[in-house]
Parts: sequence; C-alpha cells; structure tokens
Amino acid sequence: MIVAQDATDPLLAAYLERRQSLLRFLAARCGSLAVAEDLTQELFLKLAGRDPGGEIGNPTAMLYRMALNLMLDRARGDSRAAARDTAWRQIARSEIGGQDVADDPPADEAAASAQRLRQLIAAVQDLPPQAGRAFRLHKLEGLSHAETARVMGLSVKAVEKHVSAALKALTARLSP
Amino acid sequence: MSEAWIRVEDARRGAAADWLVRLQSADLTETEALRFDSWLAVHPANAVAYDQVLSVTLELEAAAPGIARALKATPLRRSTPTRRGWFVAGGLAAAATLAVAVMPFSALRPAATQTYVTAKGEHRTVRLADGSVLDLNAGSALSVTLARDARQVTLMQGEAVFDVAPDKARPFLIAAGDRTVRVVGTRFDVRRRDGQLSVTVERGLVEVRPTEAAAAAGAAIGSRAFRLHPGQRLDHAEGAPDVRVSAADPAQVFAWRTGRLIYRDQPLGDVIADLNQQFPRPIVLEDPALASTRVSGVLVLDDQAAVIRRLALLAPIKALPSARGVLLRSDTAAKP
Repeated sequence: MIVAQDATDPLLAAYLERRQSLLRFLAARCGSLAVAEDLTQELFLKLAGRDPGGEIGNPTAMLYRMALNLMLDRARGDSRAAARDTAWRQIARSEIGGQDVADDPPADEAAASAQRLRQLIAAVQDLPPQAGRAFRLHKLEGLSHAETARVMGLSVKAVEKHVSAALKALTARLSP
Repeated sequence: MSEAWIRVEDARRGAAADWLVRLQSADLTETEALRFDSWLAVHPANAVAYDQVLSVTLELEAAAPGIARALKATPLRRSTPTRRGWFVAGGLAAAATLAVAVMPFSALRPAATQTYVTAKGEHRTVRLADGSVLDLNAGSALSVTLARDARQVTLMQGEAVFDVAPDKARPFLIAAGDRTVRVVGTRFDVRRRDGQLSVTVERGLVEVRPTEAAAAAGAAIGSRAFRLHPGQRLDHAEGAPDVRVSAADPAQVFAWRTGRLIYRDQPLGDVIADLNQQFPRPIVLEDPALASTRVSGVLVLDDQAAVIRRLALLAPIKALPSARGVLLRSDTAAKP
C-alpha cells in the first residue's frame, strides 16, 4: 500500500478522510462509478506526487477544486457526448464503498435483466407529465439542463426541479 | 415504521435527488461542492439516501437506450429521424454529428485513397469528408477510400477509434488483417498489433467477419460473422480460425485518446507494450517473469520519466537507465 506515506500532509489526510465523498461527487459528475474510481485514484496520485510544501488554506476546498479540474481535463480531450454516453456503463458497474462487482454477468442473468428493464420502462412511463418529459429529454435523449429548458420552454431551475422530482420518484419505486 | 419517519426519509430522498441534479449541472460551483460535502457528512442517512438515488440514476442511464426504444411509440419531438434507434444513448452525440451527416457528398469526385501515419508518441485526429472522425493512436498506419458505394479503411498497423457518421447507403468497412469490420454509424476502437486484432464497441453495432480470402481459405468455423454490441470486445489472432468475444470497459480501451491509460488487473507486460508505443525510448523488463505481474491503476501520459515513476507506485519495480533505453527491475523492497 502506498497510502499514508505522509500522514502529516493535511491534504493527504483530508483526502483519506473524504475519499468516499469524493467518489460520490465524481460518480454523479461523470455518470459512472468505474470512471469515478479511476478519477479518485488519479486524484490521489496527483496528491501523492506533488511537493508537500506550501500553505493550504482549506484542504477540503482544495480537494474539490482538484476534483472539478480533473473532470475538466477529462472533458477537454473527450467530447461531452462521449462522457455522457451511457450504453456501456452497466457493464463496468461497481459498488460504492465495496469491491468491484463482477464485470461480466453470466448469461442466465439476461432474463432477470430483461424483467428489470421492463420495471424501469414502467417506472419512467408512470412519471408525472412534466417530470417525465424533463427526465426523458435529459436522461434518455442526452440533452443538457439548458437544452431541455429550451425545448420545454422553462427556466433551467424549473427543469432541475422536474428532473429531481423524477429521480426521487424513480428511486422510491426502483430501490431494492 | 411511523408516518413521521417515512416523511423524514422522503425529505431526505428529495434532498439527495436535488444534490444529484445539482452535481450533474454544467454550472456547478466549488461552493456548492463544499456544501454537498458537508451535507453528506452531517448525517450518515444522507449518504445512504444519496447512494440510493445515485445507484438508480446510474442504472437508468445505463439502460437509457433500451428505455428510449421502448418509449419510442410516444415520441417527444418530431425532429428526430431514423437515426434515433442508434443514438438515443447520446442525444448530444447525435446533435454533434448531425451537421456533418447532412453534408452533401460529391458523387462525381473520384474515390481517392489517402494514407495516414502516426509516429511513436503521436496522436492524430482525422476528419473525413463524410463527417466520420478517426483518432489514430501512436505507431499506426491506415488508408481511407471514400467511394460512392462504400467507405473503406485499411488498418495496416496500430490502433484507431472510429466515430462513424451514419450513412446506410455507404457502409463503413475496415479491413484489418484477415477480418473485415463493418458498421453503419457508431463509435469503436480497432487495434491491430503484431498479428493480434481487437475491436471494442462503445456505441452502436459492429459486425466483424473474415475477409473473403480468409473465408475461402479457412475452415467453416472461421467464416462466421460476429455482431458486437456496446461494451463488447472481440479478440482474434490473425490466421487462427476462432475469435473470442468478451465484456470490456470502453473507457479503459479509449483512454489513450485522453492521454491516459487505464488498467484493471492487467499484466505488466501489456502495460509496457502500450507504453512502448507512446515513447521513443524503449522500456525493457529485466526479468521476463515480471511481465505477468498484475497492474491496476491510471497512468497519465506526459513525460516518460514521470509515467515510469507513477508505474512504480502500482507495481513493485524500479527503473534503471540502460544503453538500450529504460530497464525495469523487480524491486522487492517496495513490496506492499
């Protein structure tokens, strides 16, 4: 293990304390737990590789700034479309806080996943009209919040409220 | 569970959903990121609620193409033509390629063949007249012919990501050794090095079949065509009759485009082979047995010395300069 090679480094200490929160943060930003894991590790390598000297006012703020920059670095070389491209995400799925789940599901899980897909479709169909429309434009057709707002003739804030309401209802229905 | 408790849970889930949407917005500020961190820390139940919303959201995002297809019976916008079936997963991707997809292709122009070559450490993006974009990895060579009835690429050597503009009338064919890769409109990676072919699909459908010559020469088993779906990878040794299809994480395969290499439990030998495509100074393993050491981690590709330093964090090795390049030696003192 290379962890805690310098426990007195406040930035490294803050990282170790907040690793899970950073992972959750990045998972939402990049839409994939696997990619978020990689970025969280990349963040660590950046921290471990830097010169430990220098004054750091707020280590937590510094960490999140670095995490946001990491996403920007990534987005620069990569089109936003690719970052949002979700088709493969299920394959690389892993659990937060635990070990990676098996990367290739056995073939006999196909039937179970077909049934799950029907549940997902039904849940999306049953959303209230505005929340459902915002969800479909943003999540299924890949429009940004701003683009969804333009299509629906609403403010960006209103779109975010609708998407949030949709996610809340979907989680209540689909969580195990 | 009391009604009051359910109300608390419900409010928590609402707050978690609000946070997730904020985090996914393009204008997220650092202040908000810090408030999110505090919100997570203030009560363990917040993190639990957040994980539930996150998990369901990621599941829905992953299943988005399937859900969108099922809901297609009740379309939202009339302005999405037949391409929808292919591109529902990334509406933005569709928007990005739409402009070039309608670009007129001059049928009168004779089909010229253009060759593109990259040196070690060189990445190159090529935009073709039909709107397709090819990203060439280091040490690659391919030729392109845009004919009236087909778009043909021959991958002589190396690796490239293909972002193909949809055009059903003109299939996109990639010849790589004794296999032909055929696509309509999609994004995938083809790699051909030392007689080993691999194809990884990020988006769309890709068909891999033996070339006519290989089909004629080979056994019946070798003449089968394979259809690859997103997240699938095909491996094939040239001359061999069989292919292997497995699940792959395209983010790992495509990472070289963003100047990073991602490995999850892969042999050090493969990592060194990849690095040797990126840098002119060859890296050599002192003990060939080291090649089987498993490596997981992210390597940012900047300068060779820095990359090797980072690699030494992931594997028990140390680097020594040598006459031929860089020699990697087993560093037992660094064993975890």
